[in-house]
Amino acid sequence: MAIELLAVGYRYAGASRATLRSINLRLEPGRVLGVAGANESGKTTLCLAASGFAPGVVGGHLDGTVLIDELDTRAISTHALALHCGLLFQNAATQLSNTTATVFEEVGFGPCNLGLPVDEVVERVWWALGAVGVADLAPRDPDRLSGGQGQLVALASVLALRPRYLVLDEPTSQLDPAGTALVADALARAAAETGAGILIVEHKTDVLARIADEVIVLAEGSVALAGSAAEVLSDPRLQVLGVEPPARIRLEREVRAAGIGWSSTLAEAIA
Amino acid sequence: MRSQAGAAASAGAAGSAGSGTPSIELDGVSFVYPDGTKALDAVSLRIDPGELVAVVGQNGSGKSTFARHLNGLLRPTSGRVLLGGADTRPLHVARLAGLVGLAFQNPDRQLFAGGVSAEVAFGPRNLGVRGAALDERVKVALVAVGLGGEGASNPYDLGYSRRKLLSLASVLAMRTPILVLDEPTTGQDARGSARVRAVVAAAADEGRTVISISHDMRFVAECFRRVVVLRAGRVVLDGPPEAVFGEEAWPELRATFLEPPLAALAGARLHLGSTPTSAALTAALARRAQG
Amino acid sequence: MIAATEVPGWGLPEYVVRRPGGLYRSTNPSTKLAIAALEVVAAFAVPGWPGVLAVFAAVLATAAAARCLRGLAVIGLATSPIVGSILLINLFLLPGAADPIARFGPLAPTWSGLWFGLQTVARLFAFSAAIALVYLTTAIDDLLADLARRGLGRRAVFVVGAAVQMVPRTIERASEIVDAQRARGLDTEGRFWRRARGVVPLAAPVVFGALTEVEERTLALEARAFSAPGRQTLLRVPPDTIVDRVLRWAAVIGLVAIVGLRAAGRLG
Repeated sequence: MAIELLAVGYRYAGASRATLRSINLRLEPGRVLGVAGANESGKTTLCLAASGFAPGVVGGHLDGTVLIDELDTRAISTHALALHCGLLFQNAATQLSNTTATVFEEVGFGPCNLGLPVDEVVERVWWALGAVGVADLAPRDPDRLSGGQGQLVALASVLALRPRYLVLDEPTSQLDPAGTALVADALARAAAETGAGILIVEHKTDVLARIADEVIVLAEGSVALAGSAAEVLSDPRLQVLGVEPPARIRLEREVRAAGIGWSSTLAEAIA
Repeated sequence: MRSQAGAAASAGAAGSAGSGTPSIELDGVSFVYPDGTKALDAVSLRIDPGELVAVVGQNGSGKSTFARHLNGLLRPTSGRVLLGGADTRPLHVARLAGLVGLAFQNPDRQLFAGGVSAEVAFGPRNLGVRGAALDERVKVALVAVGLGGEGASNPYDLGYSRRKLLSLASVLAMRTPILVLDEPTTGQDARGSARVRAVVAAAADEGRTVISISHDMRFVAECFRRVVVLRAGRVVLDGPPEAVFGEEAWPELRATFLEPPLAALAGARLHLGSTPTSAALTAALARRAQG
Repeated sequence: MIAATEVPGWGLPEYVVRRPGGLYRSTNPSTKLAIAALEVVAAFAVPGWPGVLAVFAAVLATAAAARCLRGLAVIGLATSPIVGSILLINLFLLPGAADPIARFGPLAPTWSGLWFGLQTVARLFAFSAAIALVYLTTAIDDLLADLARRGLGRRAVFVVGAAVQMVPRTIERASEIVDAQRARGLDTEGRFWRRARGVVPLAAPVVFGALTEVEERTLALEARAFSAPGRQTLLRVPPDTIVDRVLRWAAVIGLVAIVGLRAAGRLG
C-alpha cells in the first residue's frame, strides 16, 4: 500500500527537455513526505505525476511507472484518480469551484459529483470539516474567505472524497505566518485522523520540520537528497541546492561559524 | 513608539540620501472603502528620504491600503498625503508614478507584453524615456534581478518566482526615488529572496527610500531600519527592529498575530537584550563570551 | 430547543435547504419560467391592448405580493432609454401614418404613430417585467439545481454557475490590473489619446490571467471527480409540488393555445 514512483521521467507535451528524470520515491499511508527544491526544479510536475494527473489530465510523456496501491496510474480513469489521491495547489481561489453558495456545499461538491446518496454526502462533509477544524465556516460564502481559510476549505473539499493520499503543491506559499500555521496544523491533524499519506511541496522548511517524516530535495528534475526530515534539513548542501534551511538550523550554523561554543542552553533557546 | 523615534533612528542612513528623493508623509489619513470598512484610521507618519521601512501586520490591517495611498491609487477620505511637503491630491497617478514606484504582490496582474524587455520598458516609456536611455534602463534593471539573459523570453515561460522578479525589474527601470514593494519575498524560493534583498540593498545605497510590506519577519529584521506595525488601520508600533522585536513589544506583536524572528526569541531567552537578527545574536553571544 | 439540522454535525443544514418565503418566491423555478414564457407570448401575440394590459396587471400584482416592485422599477428605468427611443421612432416615423398631431417643420408626429408606439413600448415593458420578475425572485443556484434535476448536464450547470460568479471576480481582477498599470505610469486620467493607448496593457492581463487559470482550475475540478459518470447528487433542490406542476402545465398549454390561435388567425 503506497504511492511508488519507479524510475519516473516526465516531459511536457512540446517541451524539449524532460522536467523529471529517473525519480524513485515511495509514500506510505500515515507518513508525511516533504519535497523541497529551487523553483523550476520539477516540484509541481512531481505532484502531478505522483497523483496520476500527469499524464492523465495534462498529457505529456511519462517514462517509468507510477503505482498507486499497485495500480498503474495510466490505467486509472481521471475521476477515479481523485478517489485515490487528493490534489491541492497554492492558489486557494482556483481550487474552489466558485459555483456554490456556502462552504458546506463547496465541500460537498466532490461527493455530489460521485452521485453518493444525500445522507452520505452530508456525513462526509461534516467529517471533512471536522478533520480540518473548520466546521464553523460551514455557512460562509466561499468567495469571502481569507487566503488561509480558503486553503482549509479546499483541503476539506479534497478530504471529503476520502483519498488515501494527499498531494499538496506549496499550500502555504501565499499565506502569512498565521495562515501557514493554521494549514500546517490542519494537515497534521488530517493525517492523524484519516491515516492519509501526504506529499507536500514546500519552500518553508520550517513547515517541513514541523510535520514531515521524510524529505527529498529536487534539483533539475532529479532527487538530490533524500532521507529523514531531521537528516535532510540539517544537510549542509541545502543552501547550494537553493533551499533555505529551517530557522533553527540556520541560526545554529551562524553561531557556530562565528566561533561561539555551542551548548544545550543555546539549543533550548532556539527550539 | 513614536514616528519621531523611527525617523531619528534612520537619520544616520539619510546622510547619503539622493538630493532628489522627497520625504513622504501621511497626515491624519483615514480611508473608508465604499462598503464601509475603515481600512486606515487617522494614520500619521513621516518617512524621510533614504529610509528603509517595513510595514507589517496581519491580513486586513490596512497594509495594502497604506501602500496604495503612497502613489495615489487611493486617495484619503480624510487627511492628506504629502510628497516633499506638497499635497499629492492634485497630482494624477501617472505623475506620481514617476516619483513612487509600487511593485505589486501578484506579478500576473500586470504582464501583457510578449517579451520580457518590452514588459520592463513599459514603465519608463510611460515616463517619457526613449531610445538608448530606455534600452540601458531595461538592461540594468534585468541584470539587477538576475534576468539579464532573458530579454527576448516570453514572460509566461518564466516560472512564478522569476515573473515576480520581472515585475520588480519593471518598477526598478522607472528609477523612482521612492520604491514601495508589496510582499516581495512571498512565493519566492531561496535564490529569489536573495535577489530581492540585493535589490533592496542596492536601492538603499543609491539613496532611495524603500518601503516594503512583508510578513517575512526575518527579511524585515535583516533588511530594514524601521518597522511599522499596523493593526485595524492604526499604527501600533513604530521603531527600529531592536525596539519592535524587543521583549517589551511582544504582547503588542502577538495581539496582531505576528511572531518576532527566532533570533529575537532566542536572544530574549538568553537574556542578551534585543537581538532581532542572527548577526545581532551572534555579536551579543560573542560579547558575553568575552566579557 | 435547537432544531437538529442547525447543530453542526447533524444533517443537512438549514442554510442549504432553506426555501425563500412568500407564495411566488417559493414557486418552483421552472414553473416561474413557464409562467414568464406565457406572459411574454401573451404580451406579443395577443393583438391590441387586452393582452398587454393583462400581463402588466399580472406581473405588477405578483411583484407587489413578492415585494420586488422597487427592483422592477430600477430595471424599468434602465431600459427606458431604449424604450424611449422606440417610442420616438414610432411617433415620428411610422410608415403610412397620415394623422399628424402637429407640425414642427419637417417633423410631424402622428396619432397612429403615438398609439402604435405606446403599444410597442407597453409590450416591451411587459416582456422585460415578466423576465425581471423571475430574475429578482429566483436564486441562480435554485434555478440551476431545478434544471439539473430535470436532466441538465453537470457541465452546463457548472458553466452557467461559474459564468455568473465570474463577473464580479473578473471585475475585481480588472481593477487590480488597472491599479498595477497605473502604478507604472499608464495614464487613465488624462487626455483621450493617451488613454486609448492603454487598451492592450489593460486587456491583455485579464485575458492571460484567465487563460493561465484555466489549467489549474481544470485540474482542481478533476481532483474533485468532476468527470465522474452518472448523475450528480443535488443537495439543494427546490420542491416541485402538485400546484407547481399544475401551474406549469397550464402555462405551457396556454402558451401553445395562444400561438396556435394566432397562427390560425383566430385572434383577429
